[in-house]
Amino acid sequence: MLSYTEKIREIAGRLLQSGRVDMVIGFRQGTIPMMNEPHFAKTPAEAAKLVWDSHCGINLANYLTDRKEKIGIVAKGCDSRNIVTHIIENKIKREQLVVIGVPCRGMVDKRKIAMKCPGEITEVIENETGLTAKGDGFSQSFDKKDVLQHNCSLCIHRNPVIHDEMAAPPVEEQKEVDRYADVRAVEAMSPEQRWKYFADLLAPCVRCYACRNACPLCYCPTCFVDESRPQWVGKGQDPSDVRTFHFLRAYHCAGRCTDCGACERACPVGINMRVFTKKLEKDCLDLFGWEAGLSLEVRPPLDVYRPSDPNDFIK
Amino acid sequence: MKTIKIEKSQWAPGLEKASKAFRLIGPVKEKEFHSFKPLTNGAQPDLTCLNTRLSPKSLVYPQSEVMFNYSLDEGREDHHRMTEAAKDYSPQAVIGIRPCDAKAFVLVRMNFDTPEYQDPYWLRAYESTTWIGLGCTSPCSSCFCTSAGCGPYHEEGLDVLLADAGDHYLARILTDKGARFLDAAGWKTAAAKDADQTLAAMRRTAEGKITSFVQTDNLKSLPNNDLYSATFWEDVSFACINCGTCTYSCPTCWCFDIQDETRGTSGVRMKNWDSCMYPLFTLHGSGHNPRGTKLHRVRQRFMHKLKYFVDKYDRGIQCVGCGRCVRLCPVNIDIRRVCNMMNGFAASGEACAIE
Amino acid sequence: MEHMGIEPGRLQFSWISSAESTKFVEVVTQVTNSIKALGPNSNYTKKLAEVA
Repeated sequence: MLSYTEKIREIAGRLLQSGRVDMVIGFRQGTIPMMNEPHFAKTPAEAAKLVWDSHCGINLANYLTDRKEKIGIVAKGCDSRNIVTHIIENKIKREQLVVIGVPCRGMVDKRKIAMKCPGEITEVIENETGLTAKGDGFSQSFDKKDVLQHNCSLCIHRNPVIHDEMAAPPVEEQKEVDRYADVRAVEAMSPEQRWKYFADLLAPCVRCYACRNACPLCYCPTCFVDESRPQWVGKGQDPSDVRTFHFLRAYHCAGRCTDCGACERACPVGINMRVFTKKLEKDCLDLFGWEAGLSLEVRPPLDVYRPSDPNDFIK
Repeated sequence: MKTIKIEKSQWAPGLEKASKAFRLIGPVKEKEFHSFKPLTNGAQPDLTCLNTRLSPKSLVYPQSEVMFNYSLDEGREDHHRMTEAAKDYSPQAVIGIRPCDAKAFVLVRMNFDTPEYQDPYWLRAYESTTWIGLGCTSPCSSCFCTSAGCGPYHEEGLDVLLADAGDHYLARILTDKGARFLDAAGWKTAAAKDADQTLAAMRRTAEGKITSFVQTDNLKSLPNNDLYSATFWEDVSFACINCGTCTYSCPTCWCFDIQDETRGTSGVRMKNWDSCMYPLFTLHGSGHNPRGTKLHRVRQRFMHKLKYFVDKYDRGIQCVGCGRCVRLCPVNIDIRRVCNMMNGFAASGEACAIE
Repeated sequence: MEHMGIEPGRLQFSWISSAESTKFVEVVTQVTNSIKALGPNSNYTKKLAEVA
């Protein structure tokens, strides 16, 4: 995927030069290992600074909401599905966008790498199949497949579903992937065990809302946790309030979440909050045969009534 | 100022003795990272911790804290009265705090302890705490304390400074509070005569390992309005997602919100951390929001920390270089980069190229 | 909700038209009895904020 950088720069430069777009949203080199910073390029000179590697897990569709310009956007598979969802939900118009599609082999989870290293990592060097993390007195190499972000290891939509340009030829999709093993593990627990499982999961939460703000779907002008007249959820650290924030946010993403992993990636205290959204994603698939963001033509099931909608839970 | 020596074999027994007079708190690793937690049942502070994930400010300034209780229930003796919530301000000792975090408390105190107003919650908690600091022998690559007003062996805000000298700690007694703690632990052995030289050498070695710096020499003299209307803010703020990660992990950020929560006829008035990054932070009752855009808020945070604080207090920047915001920001907005852009800003409107 | 640990049976759904008063009475009685049998909800409650 390292070769994508040149192509992305070329495409971005060309789009800006011709005036087809006002800005290109991509990444520029980060200031610490394993991070890149979302960046908009407005001139071909700035486009020459765009980069692409396995640390581009942030979902750039997050930056499209309600923008009015003509925008070129670098989008991997999951990002492109969020772009589709954005278009369907009227948060951006298709005509505004030039989607620079990136067929993705997965992003690396910096937490996994940090846990396997004995000290602070000061440099990470990537090659086509893996990376090497170096620090004071150590140098460890990893195969990329062993340190992928969890959602990437389960991904079945690596190629962009819409694009106007492509940074590389499509990659083969993963087959035989069990996307819901974790969900089934929780389903096998008793109610008390489940309660405790989620309580432990959410114990470190500091209500920073990095998960919510990193998510392209969370664009409400006033989020339900910020409402005060009436106030639905407490703003403090009471465990019931913390739990309510997380599961209610998952509900608001039901049928829309593409499992891009931006939420888990953003969390400063390492909470795996995808366990909430995966359950709802599984339910949407089982109950409605629905996967988010695959088509511009079809309305999502929670938008549309069909007589065949399952309702056996209603007595 | 006296320096004593604590053999590592005496460390745990001493803490055990001290725990009779102090509630002990230290860095403890849970799952992926360290946090400051009460050390109960002989639990030991993990002094291999480089630094805790979130700052220790929550030890003195909890994220959610009840200030008052009240009830309208006339069956209660204290009905219709706000009563102060019961707190435990018995002596506590925080073992293993890093000098940057200790200095941060000194900076924050300037806000919570003024001639006009003192925050009793913050002050009582802070003053009932003895700070036993640990000098940093291996600063991280994201630490920039030496250019942010402190350093790996800085003493401001500490009652005792410990230095790891192999099979023993050197402990520099900085205040009477610190002396009382060491007494309670039964650590009395005087250090060798050249202990202070040893400490100074350790300090120099550690400071030499810092690789990250910010330039702050121009900040005070730059005109406020020029910095405010600089064109680089759009570039700086684009990636920001306006979460609260930087503010909540920062030891020098201090903003909070007060709110009542009620149930039936009872209620509490509580303080919660708030973040200037949130859109609601400056929302007026009228509906107007002077910092309604992301750019406004991002600019405000950096101006506050690196310019307004500098101008108002003349104690340097409101940052101790701990590096948490740099490591934790989900989109890699880097205060070091912004500080250098601000410092190098020329009134012509062009920021210095920073790479 | 059940995935999160709320006991099965605490949350129930029913379609009842305002013209179906008999059904309403039946459902309310049945739900009340089944919830009482489950006992008080001790997990997911908030009285006053449990904070510092």
